[in-house]
Amino acid sequence: MSDALTLDRLTVKFGAFVAVDDVTMSIADGELRVLLGANGAGKTTLMDMISGRVPCTQGHVRVFGRDITNWQEHKIAAAGVGRKFQIPSVFRNLTVKQNIEVARCHGQSVFKNLRFGMSPSDSDRVAEIVELIGLAAVQSLVAAHLSHGQTQWLELGILVAQDPKVVLLDEPTAGMTHDETYKTAEIIRRLRGNHTLLVIEHDMSFVREIAEIITVMHLGKVIAEGSVSDIETNDEVRAAYLGSAGIS
Amino acid sequence: MDLKRKLQLAAYALFILSLFAVPLFTDDFGLNRASKYLVYGMLGLSIALTWGYAGVLNLGQGLFFGLGAYMMAMSLKLMSPTSLAQGSDKPIPDFMLWNAEPDAPIELCCITPGSYLWIPFQDQWFGVAMGIVVPVVVAGLLGALVFKNRISGVFVSIITLALVLLVRLIVIDAQPVTNGFNGLTDLGFFTVFGYEFDPYSREMYYLVAVSLAFVLVAGRLLADTRASLILQAIRDDQQRARHLGFDVPLYQTFFFVVSAAIAGYAGMLFVLVSEFASPTFMDLSFSVTMVVWAAVGGRSSLLGACIGAILINVIESQVSETEALVDAWKAIIGLIFVLVVLFLPRGLGGLAHDFVDWLARRDREKAHGLAASSSSPEREVKQDV
Repeated sequence: MSDALTLDRLTVKFGAFVAVDDVTMSIADGELRVLLGANGAGKTTLMDMISGRVPCTQGHVRVFGRDITNWQEHKIAAAGVGRKFQIPSVFRNLTVKQNIEVARCHGQSVFKNLRFGMSPSDSDRVAEIVELIGLAAVQSLVAAHLSHGQTQWLELGILVAQDPKVVLLDEPTAGMTHDETYKTAEIIRRLRGNHTLLVIEHDMSFVREIAEIITVMHLGKVIAEGSVSDIETNDEVRAAYLGSAGIS
Repeated sequence: MDLKRKLQLAAYALFILSLFAVPLFTDDFGLNRASKYLVYGMLGLSIALTWGYAGVLNLGQGLFFGLGAYMMAMSLKLMSPTSLAQGSDKPIPDFMLWNAEPDAPIELCCITPGSYLWIPFQDQWFGVAMGIVVPVVVAGLLGALVFKNRISGVFVSIITLALVLLVRLIVIDAQPVTNGFNGLTDLGFFTVFGYEFDPYSREMYYLVAVSLAFVLVAGRLLADTRASLILQAIRDDQQRARHLGFDVPLYQTFFFVVSAAIAGYAGMLFVLVSEFASPTFMDLSFSVTMVVWAAVGGRSSLLGACIGAILINVIESQVSETEALVDAWKAIIGLIFVLVVLFLPRGLGGLAHDFVDWLARRDREKAHGLAASSSSPEREVKQDV
């Protein structure tokens, strides 16, 4: 199996502070990788570097062997990397359906999109996605009126519509109730297989439910990588992240 | 087609029809005035396109209006009879003689420093072309610079504001080429295949009305494209849009340029109707006034902003000509603006949208009420199971 996402000695410095330090990791095609770490470990910064938001000081990011290091965000997105933000970010003044439609508009250029409406296959797909994220009943509502959980699902729906090969999810269950988390896990499971996923998550019960391999970061460095049970018994991880109390 | 869409189409059709009905009710003098209002309507629309759809508040739209106006006026100035009577076989603008050195040759090439810029404008169609091309090029360069560097919000407004003042200063300062503060007056008539457009004629009014109708329909079509949907997405969250793979500066620049082209075209029409071009077109107060028109009419509605501009100007002229209100008319216009901003933040267009929404909801509820009453027994059965 070829590697979908390869990070090669990735480093970023903000002044003298090294936020991400020499991170090397590779994620296989179709894999779901969970990125774990305490606050300030550099997880979100790592995602920012992969998606082009923060320029890397050193190292390379490769998607299916193609070097995309420090490209502009929209080019990286066009190369097949999609991401969900920690603070859910959707188009607040557009309706739920329009949000999904925007993500379904292909092509970076304004001239390619000087046309009316969606193709029948795209409209069908938009309807399917609205159904999938469970927002069919509110699809003509403006996104600003959605609840927090609904906004998170809408952003996941945007990602599904964009259909990137590599999906970066930054805390998809942050601030969710138990039921909402369950439903989110359901949506993420549907993404699995066709997409390669990198997920930042704190909720251990959620991690146990979805994770195959976990990578643990601490102070900008990767300190462990392995299955859930490997990580739970790893002493260094316990000391750095989980505290003496262990995983609750 | 849903109710909303039908009403929208009806509103556009009604407005365009009424444009062509105006000549039935007024004389040539009134038509000249009405033509100016329609030009203002076009400007209101151009503001709404960038402000409402792209979220870019341009406080210097007068720049593009002024550039379009000057390009047109330069050609018309050379067509004026006085320009032909300056002692040369080729037309020379009269003000250039007043600004020339005593022994300068009476030729466009070298009568004043920079007068050679006028040479191609001897062809009226060159002036027409430049009236669009110059605003488009300036907007394209400005847009590329501003949006590529991710400048947004109030900073774009400040840059456009500064730029219009800068260009105004240059125009005033370059007196030998532009006639400075006096502007370009005493212009010839716009001529198409030998037909002269008299500013005080039905034909001139129809030229402006057809232009506005065309711009309205084209603007509406543009606002219905996918590109416009993406532009609105960019307005809401640039970063999100970037990560969906859209070239954000390209979208912003494109719509900024379209808006500038419309403003430049409006500037040309204004010169045809009013027979002068002056640096006052680039006064800050004029650009801000345009924004007020769009705000009153509704910045997210192209038709609304257009009607807002026309309405305010009609009210303004009525009020300022009423004896009792001569001193107070500015305060009255100001009051209208304050009231609209306080109570109708989305302007008249927003009010119309709310009304249509209310109609649609009432319709739906009626239909829903019927459906619910007929299907409710079935639902109860399902719940039992």
